[in-house]
Amino acid sequence: MGGKVSCTLGEVKNRADLIIYWGGNPAECHPRHFTKYTIMQKGKFIPEGRKGRTMVLVDIRETMSVKAADIFLQVRPSKDFEMLSAIRAMVKGQPVDPVLVEETGLKMEQLQDLVDRMKRCKFGVIFFGMGLSMTRGKHMNSAQILTLAAEMNAFTKFVAMPMRGHGNVAGADMVLRWTTGYPFGVNLCRGFPRFNPGEFSTVDLLVRGDIDACLVLGADPGATMPQPGIDTLRRVPTIVLDPKVTYTSQISRVHITTSPTGISSPGTAYRMDEVPLPLRPALKSPYPSDEEVVKRIIQAVLRKPAWLPGSKVAASDVA
Amino acid sequence: MLRITGGKVYDPAHGVNGVVKDICILDGKIVADVPAGARIINASSMFIFPGGVDIHTHVAGAALNFARALTPENQRAAAKFLHTADTRLGIGGATPTTFATGYLYAGMGYTTVVEAAVPVLSAKHTHEELRDTPIVDKACCLLMANNELVMDLLEKGEYERAKDVTAWMISAAKVYGVKAVNPGGVAAWKWGKNANHMHEAVSGYNKVTPGTIVSNLARICDELKLPHPMHLHCNNLGIPGNVSTTLETMKMLEGNRAHMAHLQFHSYGGDDWHNMRSESVHIADYFNAHPNLTCDAGAVLFGNAVTITADGPWQHLLYQLTGRKWGNLDVENETGCGIVPYTYKGSNLVNAVQWAVGLELLLLIDDPWRIFLTTDHPNGACFWRYPEIIHMLMNADFRMEQVRKLPEAALSRIFLDEIDREYSLYEVAILTSAGPARALGMKQKGHLGIGADADIAIYNEKADGELLFRYPRYVIKGGELAVEEGDIKSTRDGHEFVVQPHYNPDIEGYLREKFEEQYTMSFDNYPVDAERVHGMQMADCSYQKTP
Repeated sequence: MGGKVSCTLGEVKNRADLIIYWGGNPAECHPRHFTKYTIMQKGKFIPEGRKGRTMVLVDIRETMSVKAADIFLQVRPSKDFEMLSAIRAMVKGQPVDPVLVEETGLKMEQLQDLVDRMKRCKFGVIFFGMGLSMTRGKHMNSAQILTLAAEMNAFTKFVAMPMRGHGNVAGADMVLRWTTGYPFGVNLCRGFPRFNPGEFSTVDLLVRGDIDACLVLGADPGATMPQPGIDTLRRVPTIVLDPKVTYTSQISRVHITTSPTGISSPGTAYRMDEVPLPLRPALKSPYPSDEEVVKRIIQAVLRKPAWLPGSKVAASDVA
Repeated sequence: MLRITGGKVYDPAHGVNGVVKDICILDGKIVADVPAGARIINASSMFIFPGGVDIHTHVAGAALNFARALTPENQRAAAKFLHTADTRLGIGGATPTTFATGYLYAGMGYTTVVEAAVPVLSAKHTHEELRDTPIVDKACCLLMANNELVMDLLEKGEYERAKDVTAWMISAAKVYGVKAVNPGGVAAWKWGKNANHMHEAVSGYNKVTPGTIVSNLARICDELKLPHPMHLHCNNLGIPGNVSTTLETMKMLEGNRAHMAHLQFHSYGGDDWHNMRSESVHIADYFNAHPNLTCDAGAVLFGNAVTITADGPWQHLLYQLTGRKWGNLDVENETGCGIVPYTYKGSNLVNAVQWAVGLELLLLIDDPWRIFLTTDHPNGACFWRYPEIIHMLMNADFRMEQVRKLPEAALSRIFLDEIDREYSLYEVAILTSAGPARALGMKQKGHLGIGADADIAIYNEKADGELLFRYPRYVIKGGELAVEEGDIKSTRDGHEFVVQPHYNPDIEGYLREKFEEQYTMSFDNYPVDAERVHGMQMADCSYQKTP
């Protein structure tokens, strides 16, 4: 079994001599990744910078990121799992059916070259994007690539990291874990946390229409969810907290304009490697922060008559 | 105002052994007397203990939060904490959620906990979690034994500057003490290696050895006058034959203080898994003769656990041994972290030896002021299983019954069947509270003298076996009734203790430059702001070496 074998981005900067991007287009989606953390930086043990590193890109099409790559491997769409399986087998010296490799759109020699480089490097890292984790195979693809990185440690130092984005999604994940024990897809309806991705994840609840109200914070599901999910957002009272007008705010019942976090209100954001960074606002905003609004909503909810058995909070107790 | 009357008081710090006397509380402190009209708790036929102090546990921070995400199957099987008018919802088990952690500790009579492993880089996160850990008081130890800034300075022989860097890091991270985990080994793990020999240079260095790191760091902690000595997780944790490394390390520490963490995991003989045996007698003999050392047991109980440690290379080995999930997170320039779920089985010879060694150390180390009860939660077992261990320590017959359940082959590898010592209640009070508080240098904790924090656990005299310490009748934290017969009554947040050792301010200029080169975070964002540490209380750096 795999798990997750990872590091903070500074380790990549200081040590990585083999960097593999899989199913992502960092040049356009994470534009500072190359320059701040991975290929362009001089590191403590990579004093020559770019020349001391090899960058491999695996994707289904040529993107802007190809220019930055030393080696581009164009995998056929939906064949990532098969390609990873072949690599895992080759790493362990197991025979691999050339027909299977051919189906991935790549040649045996290309994969063998990659495997050799992976074994030869001193510190290898795989960054994988939604082109891997959100296409056919989904979490099975992620498991496969994480297992590959774990198994590589029998030969050399190797780590893997998902290319997370969408603002502070890593932060939400962290807070949910320490408060509920689970990273996402948590249901609190029974008074204790339950976790079942595919059942309790946002997209599933919205598509099934299992909810009767929706509070949207720092996200724009109206822009990315499947149509039945958007229909649910339209149907139920949806409240959006956002500094700007979004697709979701336009179909919501209430849009509360909040100050942009990091620009006008302070807080903590987590990087994709789960390192917390303090946000120090540079500008003043006339609008309240998300935190302030949520606190006031909680106070308003507390003023409602108590419904929980044994609850001591009554309308009169809260000023 | 509160008066507890009629109970038998166990306050080892003042030599009080089961004497019936009143305990009075005013404004969160223990006082000589309170006026009539104060609330009275009738504690007749009850035992009164100072609140428990856990000197080594893992309850908050990036590593634990990583483990939570990695083991949803454990959470699903664990105890659930319902949302009520008084308490937040959560989950128990091996990696409890923060609110549940507070309730579970308080529910067992523990009122102070030390999170034993915090990197500077993610200290902000640890403090956020501790903020959400209610009732108990907290403190952290900072991971320094694989800090490359310090190691680079030691390589160049710049001891004074290494000391300043350490002091600056302690102040920046807002922590209470210094932790050393597998000195040099975690730094070597950044290249996929380990550091197994105390006198061999660490991979990537010419001069720095694990021995250099251990002895210098212990000296630094003493010279900075930290209230708690260097908190040390030795090299070669868990490996058969590691007793020689542990003894060698302890010898290097002569002349300095040190706290040997989870000593159980470092007391094995043999040279392979097939012939691993207990070396607790050796360790205890040396330890008993060297008062500069304290330790905690790191006892193992059979059942499910999750191993979480900064010891990256060991966790890779454990992953290869078990074939179970493996989490790893190397932290730039500072440390690492590894996670592997693990099940200790009574039928497994290695596990049986581990189980015995923990208890043997607790019984063979004769000064209860120098060995403390821990399971290295959640590594050896969950902290909420401490009462099971206390029961085995207090009742030799019950303990022998457990020994007899071990496989026949295990008996020739352990000493537990030859030990008939039984802990008294007085000794248990030292083991769980007075001792760890003293080792931590927390003068207001672990005793019931005037001026102490009113953290008190009151147990039912009649309760049997492990139940005695599992379900306190009352738990008082900071003068407030926090738990009554298993019900959480008050969830007022505890404090977090930090220290601020002195350093040469010029060190900031030096660090700023190193940061540009080696880190990916800007130097100004690195320290934890004091206002982010909830209920921060500054402790003095006033340790005095006794001649």
